[in-house]
Amino acid sequence: MKISVRTRGAPFVFDCAEGEKILQAGLRAGVGLPYECGSGTCGTCKAEMGEGEIDEGWAEAPGRTYVKSEKSEFLMCQASPRRDCTIGVRSKVEALPHEVPVPDAVGGRIKKVEPLTHDVCQVEVSIDKPLSFNAGQFMLVGAPAVAGQRAYSMAHYAATTGSLTFVIKQVPDGGFTDWLFAADRSGTELELFGPLGVATYAPALPNNLVCIAGGSGLAPMLSILDHAIQVGHFDTYTGDLFFGVRTERDIYLLDQLKEFAGKAPEKLAITVVLSDSPPTAGLAQAHPELRFDEGFVHESTMRHMAGRWENVMAYLAGPPPMVDATLRALVMEAKLTPTAIRYDKFS
Amino acid sequence: MSWQQVCTTGDVDEDELEEFEVGEITVLVANAGGEFFAYPPFCPHQETPLSLGMIDGDTLTCIKHLWQWNLKTGEMRDIAECPLLLYDVKVEDGAVLVNLAKELKYDYQ
Repeated sequence: MKISVRTRGAPFVFDCAEGEKILQAGLRAGVGLPYECGSGTCGTCKAEMGEGEIDEGWAEAPGRTYVKSEKSEFLMCQASPRRDCTIGVRSKVEALPHEVPVPDAVGGRIKKVEPLTHDVCQVEVSIDKPLSFNAGQFMLVGAPAVAGQRAYSMAHYAATTGSLTFVIKQVPDGGFTDWLFAADRSGTELELFGPLGVATYAPALPNNLVCIAGGSGLAPMLSILDHAIQVGHFDTYTGDLFFGVRTERDIYLLDQLKEFAGKAPEKLAITVVLSDSPPTAGLAQAHPELRFDEGFVHESTMRHMAGRWENVMAYLAGPPPMVDATLRALVMEAKLTPTAIRYDKFS
Repeated sequence: MSWQQVCTTGDVDEDELEEFEVGEITVLVANAGGEFFAYPPFCPHQETPLSLGMIDGDTLTCIKHLWQWNLKTGEMRDIAECPLLLYDVKVEDGAVLVNLAKELKYDYQ
């Protein structure tokens, strides 16, 4: 079916298969339609229906609170066409830039699920065709037993790979994570789409890196640091990772963090920040390669980065209150300009 | 309606933003270093409430995508793609008066 999109700039036309989401069909065709989460939460991909007919998809998508049905608005990430459609998007839409990998649908299979903490696991997925992505990007991941797809960041970097690793946190009443954590899901077939997201690292970046993560927001930072270490970014620039969790039992992948720190000694500093209880003396003794701090992750970042905000590119990911508090600190205290801050706003 | 009292100067702390209802119209008032300005309540980008925004000197920043403006003129700064609309404001005897002859709206509304 044919989708014609009116935008604030040039119009676009692309094909959309039956049952395919309009957002995914557009992105797959290289049309830079607006989106952030791609999974029904943020409301960024809302569009206005003109001619045609759609199936609006996931009825409980949280992002529906942003759409005005009296204006015939809908979420492109959830909707599929029933016939040819003309829709309107209220933003400047451009073709995807050449340096961005064009996202596509890809089948996959869960290879291994490994618990990292009481509510976080690492999931390894083999995919049917090799994928190229930029460090910091994410995939939409769906399982046949669960409605809708969820967004998970790759927690590693490889130029092209047939295997993806995600870090997934169990969320209360989360359809996908309830399913994932309920039994051993190894061997289950998945439907994925991506890569997506603009909070990415490229080796030519001439900046010191500051990565600020809360909870499972560590995943994209692992990808960024993995790539930066591979290309020797820290031969020239400094790196600081601040990883915030509630308590000691919520910390994960310490060995990988230590390995990263060991690959760029003196240049890459990694700080684990506990918000609900002070780190024990034993923790710091057992892991001398890392720094441990107490408080909110944005507060720790401000303390340790004081006087070092020149020439920084800041990356952040985590739960919405953590992201907002960190954005506030980066703008108001660190005085970073918006172009020096990269994140994907999921809410 | 034209000039309406929206709040008093004491209702908005320095370098803060507060929303007020005047009849059917919601107005966002900024106190920037003791000077008062008034806007529609949303970011011109995606209807994010600008009451969650940040004031630093004469720069207003929306928390969602960090669009920035000169808060005195509405002029775009950095990555913003649309200017900010401003109401005329005057302060008389501690009352913040805003000219609401016409409600200002962005084209997504």
